Parts: sequence; structure tokens; C-alpha cells
Amino acid sequence: MSDGFDTPLSPNPLNNVPALRAPGQGRDVPPPAGDSADKDFAMQRERMQRVIKAITPFISIVIAVLVSSVFIVATGGNPIAAFQALLYGAFGTPRAIGETLLRTTPLIFTGLALAYGFRSGVFNIGAEGQLYMGGLAAAYFGITFGGLSTFIAIPLIIIAAAAAGAAWAFIPALMKVRIGANEVITTMMFTYIGKYVVSWLVTGPLADNSGIPQSAQLPPSSSMPRLSAIIPFLGTGRAHLGIVVAVLFAVVIWAVLKYTTLGYEARAVGYNPFASQAGGISVGSTIIKSLCISGALAGVAGAVEVMGVYGRLFDNFSNNFGFTGIAVALLAKNNPLGVIAAALLFGALDAGAGTMQLEAGVSQKVINIIQAVIIFTIAAETIVTWSIEKFSARKGVGA
Amino acid sequence: MLWQILTPDLFAAAVRLSTPIALAAMGAAVCERSGVVNIALEGLMLVSAFFGTVVAIFTHNTWLGVFGGVFAAMAFSALHAWASINLRADQIVSGTAINLLALGVTGFLMEAIFGHPGTTDPVPTIPPVFNFPMGGPGVLGTTWTWINTIVFSYTPIVYFSMFFAVFMTWAMFRTRWGLRLRALGEHPRAADTVGINVLRGRWIAVLISGAMAGLAGANLALEQVGGFTENMTNGRGFIALAAMIFGRWIPGFGFLASLLFGFADALQIKLQIFSNVIKIPPQFFLMLPYVLTVVVLAGVVGKAVAPAADGKPYKSKG
Repeated sequence: MSDGFDTPLSPNPLNNVPALRAPGQGRDVPPPAGDSADKDFAMQRERMQRVIKAITPFISIVIAVLVSSVFIVATGGNPIAAFQALLYGAFGTPRAIGETLLRTTPLIFTGLALAYGFRSGVFNIGAEGQLYMGGLAAAYFGITFGGLSTFIAIPLIIIAAAAAGAAWAFIPALMKVRIGANEVITTMMFTYIGKYVVSWLVTGPLADNSGIPQSAQLPPSSSMPRLSAIIPFLGTGRAHLGIVVAVLFAVVIWAVLKYTTLGYEARAVGYNPFASQAGGISVGSTIIKSLCISGALAGVAGAVEVMGVYGRLFDNFSNNFGFTGIAVALLAKNNPLGVIAAALLFGALDAGAGTMQLEAGVSQKVINIIQAVIIFTIAAETIVTWSIEKFSARKGVGA
Repeated sequence: MLWQILTPDLFAAAVRLSTPIALAAMGAAVCERSGVVNIALEGLMLVSAFFGTVVAIFTHNTWLGVFGGVFAAMAFSALHAWASINLRADQIVSGTAINLLALGVTGFLMEAIFGHPGTTDPVPTIPPVFNFPMGGPGVLGTTWTWINTIVFSYTPIVYFSMFFAVFMTWAMFRTRWGLRLRALGEHPRAADTVGINVLRGRWIAVLISGAMAGLAGANLALEQVGGFTENMTNGRGFIALAAMIFGRWIPGFGFLASLLFGFADALQIKLQIFSNVIKIPPQFFLMLPYVLTVVVLAGVVGKAVAPAADGKPYKSKG
């Protein structure tokens, strides 16, 4: 099998940049079928690997909880109390559930953004910057469209935000395709540039003259309606209809990847750019499209935050949702529907962190450690595969 | 006004500000020449800055802090080496995890040790190696000020980075070790065939990269700032990666590329002082180094080609 360097080197530097395949993709090709005994063994092994793959995310979560517990214990805290408080803060009351949904919403969008990118072999580490641009567009057009009805204004704002996010991803995409500039660096640089652009706009041209660096308030007609208007159970919580939009987007992206030519080309390029090129797919334009779609999704994340949560634009309004999206996409194994579940987990962690700090005295930063360990164990999923195979071999299972 | 901006201080500041970028970039060049991508530089620098400060505070010795910081960064880079070399994980994802872990661990321990987020207590910074008086004799006056400021005003790690640039460029292209290192990144199978231990070679390269990023963090926290602030690296790790690519995976060139970024940063700081004269919002100066990175990557680098096996895990067939 190819180890990478056996593949002929392309003169196009784009193809020589580091492996940009997301983990878990393009590996574990089923062994070629031999005679029937071999075939049985191969099938059993394949089934076993599929089971391992399916449970890896859960094992990652367990490892993450254990590692963070070590940190909590080492600093004199009580991990059980901490995680209890965390759960209570995330799901304990209707208000807490609303808060969890509120934080899940942007994570679904950024998770989708990263997952779509990973599927097509690009690592959009700059989703955070595209999110800022989406938020900026939402603030600008939200105020402009103030006179329109909500049902017209909100879709228009979402489209504008998506376009802004896509535009912010377009230059890095072009640079990647034309000159082979690694998108990890370029999108990251665009994140910093985008943040300063927003920072400048809210202190200058878009400032609301209150002396605080922030834009004017969005009119009610271009704000996301509260979810509690439909589900009274949620009470006075801040959760908004964005969560419904987010789930819709997840289904659409799932369908796009599965059923459309666009999605097929994206997956093909992510799986093997050489074969795709040989098969007549334009790798360059597919990468540009994919990064722009990824950027558009991140842009919508910014828009729902501005429309649904803050009602205005200000410095650093994103709670690192662009970066958490990386963990969400990886945990979901880049499956758009899985993104909903993974985003819910991270949304709950985020929502419960405050309660954990208040009631168990454990720093919220432990959430970052949990996220990092989840990414790490999924990246190095052979840790899990290897230990399970060792374990089951000893027990005589599977072989 | 031009001469108010182009002072010797500006150039000395450029060198000082480029040092953390240069160290990380040169370490990364070693790492990528061996075939391992290290986008964890940002996290490694942060970890070193934090643990360096902690050690310095508790031992009342800033030099021990430097060692502590370098050691911590090497420990984190060992994690990256283990995942990406032995477990053949996706190197970019592993690096991202380490960046996030560094942010989490430093933030968490910050609150656990110091009881508050934000900034640690100050530590005394490492003083410059030379400390010549500013004024010079007669005619030499201005010239001496220039030489003194630009050549003799730096702290030890800054001089070390200059030494390392020369030494590592020589080692990479004029020694057997360097030849082997480059073989690992170009064609590990060939290297393996002639009896070079690919995994060990890559481990050493990743650890060197970790140590350099560690020195970069120590320089930032213990020579420049005198303490740790949350997320104080603020993208320097990524700029270092850009500098490494701009320098075509050659340590000496990476050092020179870093000088360019250091100059952009120094200029940005200097220009802010004149912001009432030149009516430009400060954010535009702040984004200068990042814009420069993009421009450099877009326009100047052009055909830079990474080592052939960069980013590809190696599995021995033997």
C-alpha cells in the first residue's frame, strides 16, 4: 500500500503540502478478498474495525474526563462535584437547557464548517475569522433591513453573512490553489486581520457613539425570535430559533455531501486528489468551492450570535466558537448529522462551565483541556484501536 | 518625521521582537526537514512562557525559569512526537490539539496557582549581556550610539538565536547529521533502507523544535515581558511557520524572514506613537504583521516546495 511517498510527486506544490486528510478518512481499506476462510476473517476484522470506529468518540470523551479529573485532583478539587455541577449547569433547569441550546447553535455551524472542509481535504482553522465577518455583515445588514418583516430580513441577513464568510475564505482558498500556500497559516492570519477589522469598525464607522466599542442595537425585526415563544417550557431562557436553522443546515449539508455532484467532488478530492484529477474533477476549483462553503457556514455562526444573542456587534464577541468547531467536527467524525450531537456536548460543557466554577471552584479552563484531549485521542485514534485490539486479542475476541 | 521613526531603537526593537519568531521558525525548519509538521509552535511557546515564569517565581532564579520553560515545551513536543511518529496521527490535528491543550493547561494552572486569571506576578527579566554606556567619544558619538544599540543591546537568548541560525544552517547542509535529517523528510524509505533509524531521527528533530519553541517562549516571558499573560504568544507561532516557509525550510533564511516580521511589529509599535500625526486607526498597524505574512506567502514565496515526505507518517515494512 502507499505510504504517501511512494506516490509520484506532483509538480504542483499544492499536492506536496502536509497531509490534510482528516483523521479516519482514507484509512483502513478492507483487505482484498482471498479464499473463503480469508474472506471470513477479513469480514470479521472489518466489522470489528467498524465497531471500534463507532465507539472511538465515546472512549475519547471518557479519556478526556479522566485526564481533566487528574488536573482537578492535582489542584485540590473534587472531580465528582465538579462534573455534577457541570451537568447541573448544563441540563439541571429549563433555563440551563436553554443556555445549552444557545451555545450549541453557533457550534453546529462552525462544526459543519470544519467538517465540510475536512471532507474535502482542507483544514479551515480560520473559521473564527470568517465568523467575525459573518457577524459584521449581520450587524450591518440587520440595521439596514430594519424596516423589513422578520421573515424576509432574517433569511437576507443569513445570506449576507454567508457571503461575507465565504469572501473571507476565498483569498486563502485562492492562495492555496494557485501557489500552494497552506490554508492553516493563511486562514489563521485572516482571523487576526478580521478581528482587527471588526475592532476598528466598532470603534469608528459602526460605533453607536456610546463611548463603548460596539455597534448600534439591531432592530427587533432583524433579531432572532426567542425559542421560548414556541416552547414555553424554556421560560425566560435566551435560546433562540437559530438552533432550528442550525439543524436544518446540518441536514442540508449532509444531503449535499451525500447526494449532490458538488458533495461528491468534495469528498473525492478529500479522499484522493490525484485520483480525482485523473477522474476529471478539477481539484483546484473544488478546493475553492469547499473552503468558501466552509467559510459561509462559519459566517452564519457569527450572524446567529449577533442576531440571536447580543443584538449588536462588538470586539471579541465570539467565544472561540471557530476553534471549538474543530473539536466538534472531529468528534462527529466529520458527519454533518453527528455534528449536531457533538455540538450539543460542547455546548453543554460551555454552558455548565460557569456553574462548575461557581459551585465546585474548578476553573472553567478545564473545558479547554477536555476539548484538547478529545481532539488528541481522536487524532491518534490508533491509541484506541491499538489498545482495544490488544485487549480483545488477549480475550480471544474478534480473531 | 522619517528620522524620528528610523532610529537605532527601531532596528534594535526589530531584532528583539523577531527573536521568538526566529527561534520557533528555525526549530520548525529542523522538524519539517525530518518530515514532521509542527503547527503546535504557538502552544509550545505558551507552555514554556508559563512554566518558565512559574519556575522563575518559585526558585527566584530567572535562569532556572528558562530551563523549566524549555523542559516543559520539550515535554509537550514529546506528546506531539509520540502521536505523530509512533501512532501515525494526523500531524496537523495533533498540533492543533496541543495548541488547545496549552491554552487550557496554562489558563487552568494560572488560576490554580495564582488564584486569578490574566497575568502572573512580575519576575525580574534577564539583563542584556553587554551594558556599555550610551555616550561615545567625540566624533564617534552618533556612530557609537548606533553600534551600541544595534549590536550590543541584547539579552542572551537573542544572541543565542543568532548563533543558532549560523550553526544550524551549517549543521543541516554541511554535516552527516544534516544529510540524514534531510533524507528523513525527503525519502524516509530510502533512509530506512540504508540503516538510518527514521523514528529516532524524527523524534530528535521534534524535540529540537520543542526546545527552540521553548526558548522562544522563555525569551518572550523572561527577557521581554517579565511574567506571563494568558495567550501572550498571540499568533507568533503561526507567524513563525510562515517565516519558516518564507525561509524555504533553511534555518538561516528563516532567521532573516523573522527579522522582517520583527521589523513590521517594531514599526507598528513606533507608528502608534505618531497616530495623532498620521490619522490612521491603530488597528491597521496592529494587523500589519499578519497582512505582511499573507503578502509574503502570496507574492514572494511562490514556488517554495516543502520536503517531499513532510507531514507523512512513516511505517517501516521490516
